[in-house]
Amino acid sequence: MKDLLPFIIAGITSGSIYGLTAMGLVLSYKTSGIFNFAHGAIAAAAAYLFYTLNVQHGLAWPLAAAVCVGIGGPLLGLALEALARLLADVPPARKVVGTVGLLLAIQGVISVIYGGDLRSTPQFLPTSRFSIGGTQVEYSQLIVVLLSTGAAVGLYLFFRSTRLGVAMRGVVDDPTLLALDATNPVRVRRAAWLISASFAAASGILIAPTLGLEPLLLTLLVVQAFGAAAIGSFSSLPLTFVGGLAVGLLSSLSTKFVLGKSALSGLPPSIPFLVLFVVLLVMPKRRLVQAGVRVRTSVRDRSGLPPRARLAVGAGGALFLVAVPRLVGAKLPAFTSGATFVLIFLSLSLLVWTSGQVSLCHAAFAGVGAAAFGQLTTQLHVPWALALVLAGVVTVPVGAVVAIPAIRLSGLYLALATFGFGILVQRVGYPSSLLFGAAGTRKVPRPGISWLSTDTGFYYVVLAVAVLACLLVWAVYHSRLGLLLRGLADSPLALSTMGTTVNVTRVLVFCLSAFLAGVAGGLFGAAVGNIGGFGFGPFESLTWLTVLAVAGTSQFGAAFLAAGLLAVAPSYEPGSWNQYQTLVFGVVALVVALQLPQRYDLRGRVARAARGSAHRRVTSPLRARTALEGVKA
Amino acid sequence: MTDMTQTLGSLAVADAAAAGLAVEDLTIRYGGNVAVSGLSLDAPLGRVTGLIGPNGAGKTTTFNACSGLLRPSAGRVSLFGADVTNLAPPARARLGLGRTFQRMELFDSLTVAQNVRLGREAALAGRNPVRQLISTAADRRAIAGAVGEAIELCGIGDLAGLRAGSLSTGQRRLVELARALAGDFRFLLLDEPSSGLDKAETTVFGSILRRVVEERGSGILLVEHDMDLVMRVCDYIYVLDFGQPIFDGTPVEVRRSPVVRAAYLGSEATDV
Repeated sequence: MKDLLPFIIAGITSGSIYGLTAMGLVLSYKTSGIFNFAHGAIAAAAAYLFYTLNVQHGLAWPLAAAVCVGIGGPLLGLALEALARLLADVPPARKVVGTVGLLLAIQGVISVIYGGDLRSTPQFLPTSRFSIGGTQVEYSQLIVVLLSTGAAVGLYLFFRSTRLGVAMRGVVDDPTLLALDATNPVRVRRAAWLISASFAAASGILIAPTLGLEPLLLTLLVVQAFGAAAIGSFSSLPLTFVGGLAVGLLSSLSTKFVLGKSALSGLPPSIPFLVLFVVLLVMPKRRLVQAGVRVRTSVRDRSGLPPRARLAVGAGGALFLVAVPRLVGAKLPAFTSGATFVLIFLSLSLLVWTSGQVSLCHAAFAGVGAAAFGQLTTQLHVPWALALVLAGVVTVPVGAVVAIPAIRLSGLYLALATFGFGILVQRVGYPSSLLFGAAGTRKVPRPGISWLSTDTGFYYVVLAVAVLACLLVWAVYHSRLGLLLRGLADSPLALSTMGTTVNVTRVLVFCLSAFLAGVAGGLFGAAVGNIGGFGFGPFESLTWLTVLAVAGTSQFGAAFLAAGLLAVAPSYEPGSWNQYQTLVFGVVALVVALQLPQRYDLRGRVARAARGSAHRRVTSPLRARTALEGVKA
Repeated sequence: MTDMTQTLGSLAVADAAAAGLAVEDLTIRYGGNVAVSGLSLDAPLGRVTGLIGPNGAGKTTTFNACSGLLRPSAGRVSLFGADVTNLAPPARARLGLGRTFQRMELFDSLTVAQNVRLGREAALAGRNPVRQLISTAADRRAIAGAVGEAIELCGIGDLAGLRAGSLSTGQRRLVELARALAGDFRFLLLDEPSSGLDKAETTVFGSILRRVVEERGSGILLVEHDMDLVMRVCDYIYVLDFGQPIFDGTPVEVRRSPVVRAAYLGSEATDV
């Protein structure tokens, strides 16, 4: 027991911060129905602001903390509330895209200002120690636990006893009823977002000294709150705080148990995601009621181009793709990797836009495919083309595993479960000898025929596979399955009461999608030559989804555009532009998810404005004359 | 093929007592609330059976238990003589039970023709992965026939190429009915199919329902608020109030019943 105590104390310390973060997350989700994937990014932003004020400008820490938590947090909260209101009536997949876009945008801003390097930030709380049962404990740890617990208890009391708190509980259940009672639901939601963002800010500041400042690390690690929120079944605040403590304790204790077992070294940091995944799998379905699912609009953009123009664009594009090796010179590798990404985005768009399922673990599919392809070719000496197909086949069961949560869950919970799964695969799967092994990378060869392994030859190989994949997806789209998938996106209920076992449909689309992503991973590996898990992390999954959202919802056009944006465009940007890429993707994805152009009828307005000005020009001779006189004068 | 359907249809009409959907002693509780209590009803093939009652009487709850979306707390649901109480919704649909929804569940981003087609495709797809992937030539013929017939019967031929999401409520009701008719369903549960329709549309709707029953020999269980429509198309009517069955009989008997009158006048004044 004695040697466990340090781990328990460390676990409680970090766990109480997770609890704090998670409560903020649950609070905003419960009151607005928007699950804020960017919650961790807010914590990161606050931590950086604190760093600037406290470390760079020497502001005393209580003052700096007050600015971050008392001003920065609430301001962000206000912005978030407005955003959540806009996201309220868009389909679930777009809600996810929206807040993931926000995550990327905030992280992009941080990267632009501070760069991506890890900075250490000193512990601002007193670091002197006292002893509990022979274990040295820092006062900073005690203060963190007291602060977090205090905030938790305060929030609980606020909920129980104040009018606003009670209203906050009511707003979740029935906003219209609350409005009848002369309580403005917007005001209640705004208060919830203020508290939520302030909690995030506080937890970011508290956790930064132990984690260090790095945009991604902080963004994803504070997202540990997901696991805690899952334990609270995304609705109970006290349970959520307890969940935070449990996650912290489990993580901390597991570090002790895996000491010296290198194969399991990825386990402790993935505990929260393991918890998230398992809880989502076993939690009774009725406890996972989605808040705020009132989708009024089911907007699916149609390609606005007339068929002839579409044909022309297609033919022009095809000619360009064939001529690429002659046109682009040294940038050819970017185009080769772009062609592999066409497969990725085909597979992702089949899942997300066609069937309405969300996957935040697509990079994991590709990673498994890449590792499998490397093993099949270099160790089992399977012929190249066959190995490529098998790399896809090996990924299919992984897709089927992810389909299990898809059967039980939908929308947000599915997104969370897949996200947790992706992180598990990255942390526990990639280092195992089954995938990339301890070395972390695998050699992946190109085809044995000499011309095909040159850069030009291999570009054509990848292009050919991409064309085959397009044909496959086209065939699926126009088959019975394609119709079922589009029906599934609109109303699984109708589909199942008409005789289709929709769970089978879901498994099919996940398997198909995983197959394509697996093949893409293999090709990507062969293009690079030596591949590891670093290009297939959860952050990549998030980025891919946002880039796809940016590229639109057409089945084929979007896949090519997204691949171009992600893989080819950066090679044409000036170096200084590169750092803005995440920010731009994030912001554009947010705009797309909010359906701002449709909401404000931009196209119609532009058309009307054009008509209107023409109209004025004709019918207003007075204005024309004054203008002329003006010229004369 | 058509001849055969008609023959089968007239046979079913001849044998008016052919088992359709039957509910025995159905009780459904949500937590402490009893939504439906001890309801038994028999809705044979070849007939339109009505299920009426004031708001909150438990009609939609009964429907959900019939189509398998809800597990009853007690009681039995049987379809064509077989106990289906423990079957999932798709399995009941494959046995021949179709339904519409009070808040229509259309595939909004698909065209009207695709919506109706899915009515048949979905049942043919079933739960077999291979069948979900591809359709056979025989399937395609059956689908084309059923879709054409359903679209014609509901008179929505001129809407076929439009997106379902862009239609008016009345048109959407017809599309949902056509979709259910295109499926190979011998029994249909229709949940307030006429709400949102104007007088003329409702009249057309009623005559479509009669044709379905008389020509195809299907059975229909109808939940409806429009009493004119109910009285005109139903052969037999069950009345629910606060989850309790309070009366059942022919339209004439229901119209005369003081119990029914009291239930309706007590909650909402409707001229029964």
